[in-house]
Amino acid sequence: MLFNSYAFIFGFLPLTLAGFWVLGHRRRDWALLWLTAASLVFYAWWRPINVLLIAPSILINYALSLALRRTGEDSPALARALLIGGIVFNLCFLGYFKYLTFLQGTANDLFDAGFTLTHLILPLGISFITFQKIAFLVDVHAGRVKEFTFRNYALFVLFFPQLVAGPIVHYREMMPQFAVAPCRFSAENAAIGVSLFFMGLFKKLVLADPLSRLVAPLYAQAAAGTPLTLTDAWIAALGFTLQIYFDFSGYSDMALGLARFFGIKLPVNFNSPLKSSSIIDFWLRWHVSLTRFLTAYLYNPLTLNLTRRRVAQGKPLFGGRNTTLSAFVWLLAMPTLLTMLISGIWHGAGYAYILWGLLHGLLLVVNHGWRVLRPRIFLDAKSYNRAMKPVGFVLTFLSVVFAMAMFRAPTAGSAVTIWQGMIGMFGATLPEAILNRIGPAGPWLTALGFTPAWTSGSFLMEATLRIAALLAIALCLPNTLEMLARFEPAIGVKPAKQPERLVRLLTWEPTSAWALTLAVVTLAGVLSLGELSEFLYWQF
Amino acid sequence: MQPYARFLCVWFAALLVLAFCVAALNFAIDPYDVFGSPRVAGINAQKPRARDHSMLTKAYQIERFRPATVLLGSSRVHIGVDASGPEWPAAMQPVYNYAIPGSYNTTLMLATLQQAAATGRLAHAVIFLDFQNFFVPEAPPGPPNEDDRRLLLDPSGNANALRGYQRLDDGFLALMTMGALSDSVATILSQHAALTLDIQPDGASTDADFVNIARGDGTSSLFAQKRVFEANRTPVLARGLAAWTGPLPNLGRVADVIAFCRRRGIALTLAIAPTHAEALEFYWRAGLWPRIEQFKTELAELVARDGAEGVKLWDFSDYSSFTTEPVPPVSDRKTQTTWFWEPSHFKKPLGHIMIRRMTGQAAPEFGALLTPETVAERNRQIRAQRQAYICLDTANPCKS
Repeated sequence: MLFNSYAFIFGFLPLTLAGFWVLGHRRRDWALLWLTAASLVFYAWWRPINVLLIAPSILINYALSLALRRTGEDSPALARALLIGGIVFNLCFLGYFKYLTFLQGTANDLFDAGFTLTHLILPLGISFITFQKIAFLVDVHAGRVKEFTFRNYALFVLFFPQLVAGPIVHYREMMPQFAVAPCRFSAENAAIGVSLFFMGLFKKLVLADPLSRLVAPLYAQAAAGTPLTLTDAWIAALGFTLQIYFDFSGYSDMALGLARFFGIKLPVNFNSPLKSSSIIDFWLRWHVSLTRFLTAYLYNPLTLNLTRRRVAQGKPLFGGRNTTLSAFVWLLAMPTLLTMLISGIWHGAGYAYILWGLLHGLLLVVNHGWRVLRPRIFLDAKSYNRAMKPVGFVLTFLSVVFAMAMFRAPTAGSAVTIWQGMIGMFGATLPEAILNRIGPAGPWLTALGFTPAWTSGSFLMEATLRIAALLAIALCLPNTLEMLARFEPAIGVKPAKQPERLVRLLTWEPTSAWALTLAVVTLAGVLSLGELSEFLYWQF
Repeated sequence: MQPYARFLCVWFAALLVLAFCVAALNFAIDPYDVFGSPRVAGINAQKPRARDHSMLTKAYQIERFRPATVLLGSSRVHIGVDASGPEWPAAMQPVYNYAIPGSYNTTLMLATLQQAAATGRLAHAVIFLDFQNFFVPEAPPGPPNEDDRRLLLDPSGNANALRGYQRLDDGFLALMTMGALSDSVATILSQHAALTLDIQPDGASTDADFVNIARGDGTSSLFAQKRVFEANRTPVLARGLAAWTGPLPNLGRVADVIAFCRRRGIALTLAIAPTHAEALEFYWRAGLWPRIEQFKTELAELVARDGAEGVKLWDFSDYSSFTTEPVPPVSDRKTQTTWFWEPSHFKKPLGHIMIRRMTGQAAPEFGALLTPETVAERNRQIRAQRQAYICLDTANPCKS
């Protein structure tokens, strides 16, 4: 079931909330059972067979967790074997559904293997659910999670606000909240939940979706091998960057709002990533729960392991002014590239995703390398930061936009076509109707190399206006979390000590003015439900 | 009351009031002419946004209009043929223009004809055919989509059981969507423009789009855009037909249309729509001219075989003085053409002439009736016309 559907907003959600609050008045565990059952219905809605696929996986993971808890202290070797077995099982489960066709195709391409491609229907949210199950096993193995029951485990995995596209949550941050959640109607939680949910719906349907209509034909054109002119290529790359940001951050806001109805706070997923002044900063603001997972369960263990090895070998370590090149390569560059490669593979089965991951890995390595070198070149950090922050912003923004073309393009080749278009390799054109109407700028642009095209100017006009408006919103306005920071909309979000003027101006309060504003935002979102569309991250 | 509870109450009440206001506004403005709300000058008399929803708009309009004659075709007919012109004989009035701009095809031709017939008093159908629609095989009709579901009859000609639900859905779409709201606002704002796009109650369209571009950028700009379009389209069509043997695709749909009209006692006039010689030259250069002649020959034979006396076939696709009118050069943004907006879309005066020709009234010589006996001679004449046309090209006289 989609969050942005009539069935969800006018059927499932009110029924689930009513049942939860009514049962919560009698017994809390009934309310939580109701929530688990409702989550199953939510998951089964699109394709009931999904439940049959995911249920055995949940049971097996739970059994493994019990076994891990029991053997953990008595037999570390067995516990380690159980953990590795559990991780392999989950990765195979994910791999079978998500990567089998890709692997068969790759084998056919490379070795002419002659596999008949198996087209499997991906169980909804399998990538997110798999990561959460792996995280749970690791936490049980490490002793970070000790107390759990099947009911709690099922609720943790199935809790519908975060079930299919995150944020990726940890058991230890969720279950303590469920343990104390009132399970009764709370006007405060409902007011914050309604605000977050409908602001997210607005971002998704009113801001993101119209861009999809504009950029999709351009990517199809590139996939068909037709070159894109300068303006079209930039519309494709910028348009998709803004589309996916408002789509996924909108979804995350909706998830935060839905969880809040039940008295639960989810972790942060987006924090104005397009305002980042470095690529490291970007990954601390974009899909934060994924970055957190990959850092905690892949990057950190890998770096720790490599560090121990280098210590054992007596080799220098990474950090400080005396960092050596080999320490940088082995303790930072390699783990970063590997982590981002896994991130790319996690996002989708295709060369373009792999290249996107590696590209971001490379950007992160360059960024880290510069952080090592910078103090040796620029001694005054303060003046450097003041001068270079805008440069960092521009470089980061351009890097993200270029990389997004690879993320969206159906093939790596078509992404390269878009890149070539972006640097003007296929020429620059403007509709003749526009060149005629922009006064002295027309001849100036013609002198710069823009040639007239006999196409309608309405596409370029609409795309330019939409992109400009969304850029202004993404770069100048506070995000939803900043607006609601006083009410901790996500785990750990607190108001800034000295908020900017615009943030102060747009801070959410339970006032009539905000209620009226939200009614307009809600109505705009609800009126846009007719043009049903899926969230981009549901395919991952 | 606690601030959070008050917040929720104000939000919910405001939401209900706003939703009611939006529905009322959309009903009154009726941007797609679904409800038949009164057209009030200065407020909603013109419906500029109906053009993008023509299948929706026209399905409802024609039920209210109940025409004696229906005009069918693509955007060329939608823009170029006036349903309310004085040239229509009294016996054929009222006339409804049920041409569909956009992705018109032969499946749609039969569906719109059935819809027109189901309104009750249809006696005449005038259908303009584009030869391009017979160069690419159309996919067999799939499961009914929303455009099929709202029609009075299903594809087999029986009462449409899905229509009730679709009407509810259409009503909701026209009342409670962001698209309808923004289109209502755009409708109000556009009323005072000098020239506004509109689908009138008889289905005909104003020329606003073309007039505005022709005034701003010149007719030459419109022709130039279409040149690019045809330069891309014709090689694709030629490649698709290269290995095609036997009768051209989709002619069976014309046979279905003829059979339907015979069953219903509807007098049918088929017309091959005119195209400016500039565009015809692209078909010539792509090697498609024999296919155009094949289309006319097979169509004439089909009409003679299935249609008997009740069906007439006219051919306006030639190199006459109308279709070869000079096109202003790119540098000339002032000179306007008389008969064509651009190579595909003819102007209403040419539509008037064609209606007069087809209804037996006095009119300049244009087009010809096609029968199996005359089609070969007609094809030969058009080749001769073309030879004369290319000889006018002073830069490259009488190139072949």
